[in-house]
Amino acid sequence: MDYNVTIIGSGPGGYVAAIRCAQLGFKTALIEKYDTLGGTCLNVGCIPSKAMLDSSEHFANAKENFKAHGINVQGLKVDFAAMVARKADVVKQNVDGIAFLMKKNKVDVHHGIGSFVDKSTIKILAKDGSEKKITTEYVIIATGSKPTPLPFAPFDKKRIISSTEALELKEIPKHLIVIGGGVIGMELGSVYSRLGSKVTVVEFLDNLIPTMDGTLGKELQKVAKKMGMDIYLGHKVTSVNVKGKEVTVTAEDKQGKALELKGDYCLVSIGRQPYTEGLNLSAVGIGLDKGRIPVDEHLRTSVDNIYAIGDVIRGPMLAHKAEEEGVFVAERLAGQKPHINYLLIPGVVYTWPEVASVGYTEEQLKESGRAYKTGKFPYKALGRARASMDTDGLVKILADKNTDEILGVHIIGARAADMIAAGVTAMEFRAAAEDVARMSHAHPTYMEAVKEACLAATANRPIHI
Amino acid sequence: MAVQVKVPSVGESITEVTIGSWHRKDGDTVQMDEVIADLESDKATFELRAPEAGVLKILKQEGETVPVGELICEIEPSGADGKSSGEPPKETPKKETPKKEEKAEAKAESPQPASAAEAQGKGGKVREMRVPAVGESITEVTLSTWLKKDGDRVELDEIIAEVESDKATFELPAEAAGILHIVAKEKETIPVGGLICTIDEVSDGAPAKVEKAPAPEASASEAHTYAAGHPSPAAAKILEEKGLKASDVKGTGRDGRITKEDAMQAQQPSKPAESGKAPAPQPAAVPAPAGARNTRREKMSSLRRTIARRLVSVKNETAMLTTFNEVDMKAIMDLRAQYKDKFKEKYGIGLGFMSFFTKAVCIALKEWPAVNAQIDGDDIIYHDYCDISIAVSTPRGLVVPVVRNADLLSFDQIESEIARLATKAREGKLSIDEMQGGTFSITNGGVFGSMLSTPIINPPQSAILGMHNIVERPVVKNKEIVIRPVMYVALSYDHRIIDGRESVSFLYRVKELLEDPGRLILGV
Repeated sequence: MDYNVTIIGSGPGGYVAAIRCAQLGFKTALIEKYDTLGGTCLNVGCIPSKAMLDSSEHFANAKENFKAHGINVQGLKVDFAAMVARKADVVKQNVDGIAFLMKKNKVDVHHGIGSFVDKSTIKILAKDGSEKKITTEYVIIATGSKPTPLPFAPFDKKRIISSTEALELKEIPKHLIVIGGGVIGMELGSVYSRLGSKVTVVEFLDNLIPTMDGTLGKELQKVAKKMGMDIYLGHKVTSVNVKGKEVTVTAEDKQGKALELKGDYCLVSIGRQPYTEGLNLSAVGIGLDKGRIPVDEHLRTSVDNIYAIGDVIRGPMLAHKAEEEGVFVAERLAGQKPHINYLLIPGVVYTWPEVASVGYTEEQLKESGRAYKTGKFPYKALGRARASMDTDGLVKILADKNTDEILGVHIIGARAADMIAAGVTAMEFRAAAEDVARMSHAHPTYMEAVKEACLAATANRPIHI
Repeated sequence: MAVQVKVPSVGESITEVTIGSWHRKDGDTVQMDEVIADLESDKATFELRAPEAGVLKILKQEGETVPVGELICEIEPSGADGKSSGEPPKETPKKETPKKEEKAEAKAESPQPASAAEAQGKGGKVREMRVPAVGESITEVTLSTWLKKDGDRVELDEIIAEVESDKATFELPAEAAGILHIVAKEKETIPVGGLICTIDEVSDGAPAKVEKAPAPEASASEAHTYAAGHPSPAAAKILEEKGLKASDVKGTGRDGRITKEDAMQAQQPSKPAESGKAPAPQPAAVPAPAGARNTRREKMSSLRRTIARRLVSVKNETAMLTTFNEVDMKAIMDLRAQYKDKFKEKYGIGLGFMSFFTKAVCIALKEWPAVNAQIDGDDIIYHDYCDISIAVSTPRGLVVPVVRNADLLSFDQIESEIARLATKAREGKLSIDEMQGGTFSITNGGVFGSMLSTPIINPPQSAILGMHNIVERPVVKNKEIVIRPVMYVALSYDHRIIDGRESVSFLYRVKELLEDPGRLILGV
């Protein structure tokens, strides 16, 4: 055998698995189809979108808020090319960082498309057409996902675009129509909204970011409207047509009332689908379940030496979920017995204000019939938030009615993405709302809102409201 | 009520302290945290602080030696009038405010328990059944079988469960009539005093409809919150790798949470698990690898764990070694062949070798009392009687019931007693009493074909005789090679209290008595 472990796909699941495997003493290979490592997340996902979000956020602040802060700026304008170039530089730094980490951990990186010859042999087809085969004891499939197209309007990558193209545009759209008000749609929608685009969001369900707690979607909707975005909920898109530089989107609501929107770009962000093309799974007898690779509780596929992690298997399509699974599989191969608590994998939306959440949503608790109580605290009542003028948002704590155990933490507001880690920690240790309420939180910080919401959940006794 | 001040535990090896000096006099008013006395141990001097403000009542005088945990003084919290006397006045309002708040909070919280009690009152009282203290050395039991289901109606004294300790199995009668609520699950190990179940007492026939609390854990007891026994992420991984369940480990974190350190130290599952309930049972079975290389993982029974722990501790804590000899069994076998039918006819029990060995051992023990003695701290306890533990192999493991006063029993009494105990042992019905307090042990590996072995002492005893198989061997008698039935015998002993002379002489004496049974009668 050439390798103990071979990992196909170098996204956050794959490269983390590779590092952990190497740390555990396995001879490890990493196969990547593209020239750069890091997968969707680093190249065309989390990192570049955050770069654009931050840039556009700075601009929006300069335009909207600096005056109130006593800063007058003249001749403010966006150099979009420079903005995209900076984003590209951030991406380059990150993917180079991964390449360095592979070298440091002595992981062999093979560029090319990896496919199964048999359960222990992987063929790698390089860009230049050359082929090689490697043998391996174990395989971890980490090929990730790609944007799901509308069945009736495939991506033309010019006017009907996915998140990938939305991060590479040459111009700021005049009117960006976003189909799908989930995480990706709301993040990229807010980028262009801040940069001056008219943004219209069409969502099939009755709430934005529909997988998260309903309160968050409603709050986000308020903020988006304030930003000038048009939101159409409960609308089913019926057609998307491109004529020259114009995209026409038609949709209808539940009563069948038609809606027609005209814009210059249409971002389709209705979800992502697992990516398994080219793996030649049939050579090893692995079938797919709704596009995903079925795995057992140890993330093992139907073939005993082949594992799968991240977006290609069940569960939320999140980089940090894939990372946990990469570590999990590596450690299991080394005979260790780690755990992943899937309930406590946080979800984050990088709009501004940010949205973050962990644990059960209120809807889930209602459905399961569990007796719970709620504690909320608005950013408006927070000194720190007033100082920075980030007063939109709230913290909502859900706790068991009888034991006071925290069951869910839902935040929309400045720094929510960083704050949610405290919620994860508390819940991993099964803290009660009062436990958190009795811990000292530094003043003035945004985290005080979490403490106050916990006080509200404990016995409805927040201090500052 | 007066606050009782006891000698705090100040160090692992410190068992007692001497009161060096009292800083305050009897009847003085003392402040909280004020140093009221100096205590001296053999290692250091330390200060005793008042745990509460109030009037001091000294119970132990200067110079007295007091064991750890014993009461040395009481502090009567000062009444409303005397309260401010010792306190600086400016502090008074400060101190009173929080007290009021506490009271307010206590009041605010009181309705909950009260209403809970009321709710219970409607359906009668709730009887909590806890693991009874079944024997001196027993700290935990395993719930082997529930004979009644959760929610069943049970009658007073009806047997509701079978419980297994490392020594015996016993039945658990209901302590009240009513509706059973099971807390401990089958195969769960519960410490003595741990909650097994509750019974909602119902006086009349109609079972009262009992409200089921949504979170049953919460009501278990004040020490058991929902979080008790919850392992931290790192602790969970360590436990899984050790093949332990969270219920095997006592959590020392807040509200009984299992910390990483708890998990790292959780090697001996002998530690009684404090939590009365098992959080979500984890699948114990390890997935079998491909091919016929299956392994199985099973939880050790309480008995097995105790055996394992004790055997290792004997090896570690005694100076054990073994001496050997051989016994020509011809005389006994002849005697047995001659009288076994008559013996059986008269006493209704077969004449085996055990009675000979037991008798021989008793005589030898009287002559070499150190072999029948045991160490207790810095003392040696000599026994003027012989309680002989007989090792019996059972499907559940080895047990050692005791033949009491074996030195005073006749051959038939010994045989009947051994037969009775062995039967009970195999049925798992031995009582704790029947297994406690032996002064010397006999084990017979010969029944399985052992030629020679080094038995392990049965603590706190100091010696054990190992019997083996009887094999016809050529031996030299009167310068002639003859074939004789020979048994090798072994005596393992604790060299700390038994010298070589005593152990070897003891074993030689046993050999002498067995080779010439006439000596058994005459005691010569």
